[in-house]
Amino acid sequence: MKLEWSAEDEAFRTELIQFLDEYAPPEIKVGRDFSDGGVDEVGGDEVIPKWGRDWQATLFDHGWMVPSYPPELGGRNATPVQTLIFMEELAKRRIVRSLHFPGYAIAAPSLLEFGNDEQRKLAGPSIRGDLIWCIGMSEPNAGSDLASLSTRAERDGDRFIVNGQKVWTSYSMVAAKCFCYVRTTPLDQAPKHKGITVLIIDMDTPGIEVRPIKHITGAEDFAEVFFTDVEVPVDNVVGAIDDGWRITMGSLAHERGGLWLQSVAMVQQTVDDLCAMARRLGLDADAGVRRRLAEAYEQVASLRALGYKGFSSFAQGSSAPEHSYLKLATSELGKALYELGMQLQGPYGAVSDPERGEQRGRWARSFFVSFANTVAGGSSEIQRNIIATRILGLPRQ
Amino acid sequence: MDFTLTDEQVMLRDTAHALLTRHCPMSLVRAHVDDPAVADVLWEHLCEWVVLGDGPLTDLCLFLEECGAVLALEPFLATAALALPLARAAGVDLADALAAGESSATVAIAGADGEWRANDEKTKTFVLEADRVDYILAVDGDGRVSVLSGHAVRNRPVGSIDTTRRIFEVDASSARASDTTRPVDVDRWLRRATVALAAEMIGTTRWLLAAAIDYAKQRVQFDVPIGSFQAIQHKLADCSLDLERARSAVYYAAMCVDADDAEQHRAAHVAKAAAGRAAMHCAKESMQVHGGIGYTWEHDLHLYIRRAYASEHLLGTAGWHHDRIADLILG
Repeated sequence: MKLEWSAEDEAFRTELIQFLDEYAPPEIKVGRDFSDGGVDEVGGDEVIPKWGRDWQATLFDHGWMVPSYPPELGGRNATPVQTLIFMEELAKRRIVRSLHFPGYAIAAPSLLEFGNDEQRKLAGPSIRGDLIWCIGMSEPNAGSDLASLSTRAERDGDRFIVNGQKVWTSYSMVAAKCFCYVRTTPLDQAPKHKGITVLIIDMDTPGIEVRPIKHITGAEDFAEVFFTDVEVPVDNVVGAIDDGWRITMGSLAHERGGLWLQSVAMVQQTVDDLCAMARRLGLDADAGVRRRLAEAYEQVASLRALGYKGFSSFAQGSSAPEHSYLKLATSELGKALYELGMQLQGPYGAVSDPERGEQRGRWARSFFVSFANTVAGGSSEIQRNIIATRILGLPRQ
Repeated sequence: MDFTLTDEQVMLRDTAHALLTRHCPMSLVRAHVDDPAVADVLWEHLCEWVVLGDGPLTDLCLFLEECGAVLALEPFLATAALALPLARAAGVDLADALAAGESSATVAIAGADGEWRANDEKTKTFVLEADRVDYILAVDGDGRVSVLSGHAVRNRPVGSIDTTRRIFEVDASSARASDTTRPVDVDRWLRRATVALAAEMIGTTRWLLAAAIDYAKQRVQFDVPIGSFQAIQHKLADCSLDLERARSAVYYAAMCVDADDAEQHRAAHVAKAAAGRAAMHCAKESMQVHGGIGYTWEHDLHLYIRRAYASEHLLGTAGWHHDRIADLILG
């Protein structure tokens, strides 16, 4: 156990900071709160604004998109510790790498691990952001119980015919490809986890209809996706037929170490913002406010330490159950902190007027957006189930 | 930055675990309630480990976590985590005898309000194991240390919920100004002691959660183990989250102290607050999951709950540490 960073790691940090100072676009430096991914705030009418796409490409071209990857995949073969430094320095500056996560964070690592040679070639453009992906997972009747998905793909010679519906499919209105989980063996013929296959589906294939869903903040960055007799070549299967469940586990684990560490750093920023607001509002001498902010600080600091610990075991190659803890805790804590931000403003807590109250109504807006964080990517209840059964060894129901 | 244990640290932890489970069985902890002298047998095995108090705090924490898991009896924590570092800081010869395991000692610093800070009060409170140690190190208002013979100091045992760690008020008026040492950096010493106690609490909390998990796997109601119910699973998952983040916070703080890092002040307060909250959370939920059996004197659970809450109230409650954190982040 040691705290120090090596000279190589410090050099890595210095180079990163120089790069960020020189290249980070002005839009990203306005001090927005990106932890909530409020696309309405980030991009206005555009689902993925051009400056965001340019920034992702710039990161890729300079080897800073996913530092642990080799240069041809937008990285520089960074060590896990360096990835940790990368995540923290970005979070400190509120800089995000990408405004669309499915490609670089889920599709690309899954293709690299499970795809064939042709499919692996898609990874580079996916990480650079040139190829936009959506992930076809949730369905109206398959949310937390993902393995119950029923979008079916029936084999017809060298192609599959896909019928069914996905929902909450982020970026599907702009995506070129869908990393789609489909049922290839009916539920009555195999256990539900056994009959799932991943298909790469081109979104311009006839028979696909995307209906955007306006979400709670008014933005439209996810949608329902309907598949009606959509023809998909058998070559587009990722991994083996009926072996897709393994990929769900893999794709959810990819990048997670880094992502949850990033989310801890974001929550840390939120606590700093709360302290700054408390000072502006003259609440920093209030004993009750001081205690609540200190509790928040303790919670974030202990989570950050847990993130470091998880990252250390991740770096040693062992599986790190810390991810479930961090997902659960950061999403719940984030929600509580935004609510606290509203509370600190008293009567102005629910005001969303850009010229009244604090920070253009940022706290209430972030609070609303944060509802998604304890549901998406495995709800808090699912995380607790995972911790109870896989980490604590309690019997399944 | 590396949280992984070195091979030596793994060996230290495993050795501590084996040693403590062997020499500090529950039968000893229970016998100690009526006769504190039975702890002498344990001390014979632990005294050679007091030297850890001279080394990296992370190593001492690893050892103390195992101590907390078996409710190890004094005077180990008092000697290794409190007295030895203070004796070293003060530059007194006694430090060598303590490190060698030849003598035991405790520290008398808190005044009537129970807060561990330098003061000139003559009656010292919350002195651990005062009647059974060889020496008592009394700290005055300037942070100067007097070494008093344990047997020569008048003491008053103070009743505590914790039957496994005894506390006393002692009369430190026999300390004479001419016998005191140079002033020590009390905050620095206390920071170390606080993180060390937090590490011991992690061990105690670990037991509280493990006991609840074991029980939830065994206890059958409605024809299934109660641990298969989501109501129980989610309780224990939340406890586990609190324990894991507290444990990480404790070792992070220990690493900060060892590296003399600027963040050590905040990290130490975070460690004790997180350890305290995890301890209280796991204590209550463990009791709840155990149901009626946990409420009995016969079950060991109450002994752990007693230690957990006594430790929470020693060296600053979670709320006290939160107030210190507020001072650091808000001024």
